[in-house]
Amino acid sequence: MSTSKSTFRLSFMLLLVLLTSILAACGSESATTAPSGSTTTSNEPRTIKLWHYEGANSAMGIAWAESIKQFQAANPGVTIQFEEKGFEQIRQTAGMVLNSNETPDILEYNKGNATAGLLSTQGLLTDLSDVATQRGWDKLLSSSLQTTARYDDKGVMGAGKWFGVPNYAEYVMVYYNKDMFAKANLQVPTTFAEFEAVMDAFVKQGVTPLSVGGAEYPAQQIFYELVLSKANREFVNAFQLYQGDVDFRGPEFTYGAEKMAEWVSKGYISKDATGIKAEDMGVAFTNGTFPIMISGSWWYGRFSDEIKGFEWGTFLFPGNTLHPGSSGNIWAVPTNAKNKDLVYDFIDITMSQEIQTLLGNSGGVPVNADVSKITNDKNKELIQNFDAISKADGLAFYPDWPAPGYYDILVANIQELIDGTKTPSEMLDAIAIPYQEHRATLGK
Amino acid sequence: MTSLPLKSSYKKPHKAGIGRFFVLAALLIVLLVVLLPFAIVIINAFKTPEDYATYGPLSWPTAWSIDGIVEFWQRVDYSQKLLNSLLISASVAVIGVLLSLLNAFALGIGRIKGRIWLLILFMVANTLPQESLVYPLYYLSKEFDLYNTRFVVILIFSVIQSAFGTYLLSSVFSTFPKEMLEAAMLDGCNKLQLLFKIIVPVSRPTLAVLFTFFFIWTWNEFFLPLILLISNDRQTVPIAVGVLQGQRNMEATLSSASALLGILPCFIFFLIFQRTLTKGIAAGSVK
Repeated sequence: MSTSKSTFRLSFMLLLVLLTSILAACGSESATTAPSGSTTTSNEPRTIKLWHYEGANSAMGIAWAESIKQFQAANPGVTIQFEEKGFEQIRQTAGMVLNSNETPDILEYNKGNATAGLLSTQGLLTDLSDVATQRGWDKLLSSSLQTTARYDDKGVMGAGKWFGVPNYAEYVMVYYNKDMFAKANLQVPTTFAEFEAVMDAFVKQGVTPLSVGGAEYPAQQIFYELVLSKANREFVNAFQLYQGDVDFRGPEFTYGAEKMAEWVSKGYISKDATGIKAEDMGVAFTNGTFPIMISGSWWYGRFSDEIKGFEWGTFLFPGNTLHPGSSGNIWAVPTNAKNKDLVYDFIDITMSQEIQTLLGNSGGVPVNADVSKITNDKNKELIQNFDAISKADGLAFYPDWPAPGYYDILVANIQELIDGTKTPSEMLDAIAIPYQEHRATLGK
Repeated sequence: MTSLPLKSSYKKPHKAGIGRFFVLAALLIVLLVVLLPFAIVIINAFKTPEDYATYGPLSWPTAWSIDGIVEFWQRVDYSQKLLNSLLISASVAVIGVLLSLLNAFALGIGRIKGRIWLLILFMVANTLPQESLVYPLYYLSKEFDLYNTRFVVILIFSVIQSAFGTYLLSSVFSTFPKEMLEAAMLDGCNKLQLLFKIIVPVSRPTLAVLFTFFFIWTWNEFFLPLILLISNDRQTVPIAVGVLQGQRNMEATLSSASALLGILPCFIFFLIFQRTLTKGIAAGSVK
């Protein structure tokens, strides 16, 4: 007993020693951080703190790593201190971090009213309007890409000052399994009627054509695609930017909801889809269970790496000129950031044609690439499809954007539409209420 | 006559075979259900992404690969995260136990005035959700220039954990045998000696249990460290695991690898201190 008592005492003492050394270390830690908050002079080595949340192997991760390299070569006295963050981490803590002196000098931030828009109204983001015109970013980005860069004094996107710079884009398309199409002797559809005929053919062979994740964002993007097939730009501006009235019982929404229900009853979409997550939807397409998947360009790089068993390709949703999609996330500069001039130089590098081409060659959707230098045919197809949408001013954003919490409302109601507990008109009434309520609070 | 066979059946309990078999079978099934998620995490941690994409999450790996684990380790600088978590959890466990001990000495042994109210206060503090503390803690730590330091996390969790520790230890100490305390006082013990020479040795098993729990609880904390630790080189293991959660994509094999690395240290710690835990729960105070 006495030996175990002394070992206990010994371990306790050791822990105390450890503790005091920790406390000492913590003390020096806060002491060393203090001077970095003071003013920087030209002689001092300058550091830029950069945060983003793209994986190192993703197209953006590769392109931005190269941008850092180029920036460092051009500015030998400056170091870029890059920290990889999680999406959730930035989403949950950005407001607090940007309000402190631990703020990064530049960060990738989620575009949208509830994120960048909200922070801009709190005065936490730098107004980039002048810089954007000086450096010509306003000319590089088409008007539908600029939508997510500009926010008005209520934090509503679409017009007003620049608070961010989008560096890449994304859009929803149709992925298809070439081998399954060939086996069923089917061609790539070019019209909506042909698209339905293709899916009919698969149903006749006992194959459910569409891989759908009804528990997350994919189902609402299909619904929105169908709505957009009857819509025009005015409808999108009314729905997304509050420029005009939206009728949820109007022809666009009615067609979308009824068509979606019809697709379920015809067997294009399985009723089981309501419980499928986006990740499982992707995996089911990757292992060849379904011939078709309607989802965003964010799958592109992953499919290129992981689909080994068959040939695959993409086409735009047949018959639509409007497609769900938008700019990617944006570069934002916190109000409390230091070294803003250097940060603008860095953004300039990421917008350069060379970096943008690298982004395109790595499987992303660039906003300013030299398409002739895109080597991979698949990547070229991805970018050319985007250019076609962009030229037709066809980016229609995402259906969950217009109101806070709308994502969950859409998921729940489209699930009920798919499993038949709600009729199309009941579902439309249910999603109309929160939307109209939010617009009323904005006074728009 | 009738009592004899009864006695013998007590001595040989394995004769009641059927019932025991069913209980064992039921326990085995429960065990399997509990272990299944861990098994899936382990299987997927050692798969390649292509393997996962082709055969799904439930298949056996076609080839065992540690690439995911290595990649995660390097990507988040896991050694640094381990060190941070160890530093924070160990410090909190030590300070938390010390604070609880001193508080409980006053409340349980010293029986100071208003101790019931103080205990209620501690219990209420214990039930406060951390989300409600976020903004006060954020503004206070900024005010004292402690935002984004490991020290502030240690400070906060020492207090949070010791609220529970005080509550538990006080009730343990209030049943401490009076005779022992009186005897010690008669022998000329002062209060400090009473605490460290008599009470601490006797309640050592309970303190060890508290220490273990404080360590594991602090290790698994996610929300407050996420809010308070900004720089990557100061963050803890659970936050590192969170880095992989993308906006739309998740890397299933990498996530599994990170989950495995995330639970492993805690699991090892638990194995080491498992004996103190069982001892502490079984321990009596008077020997």
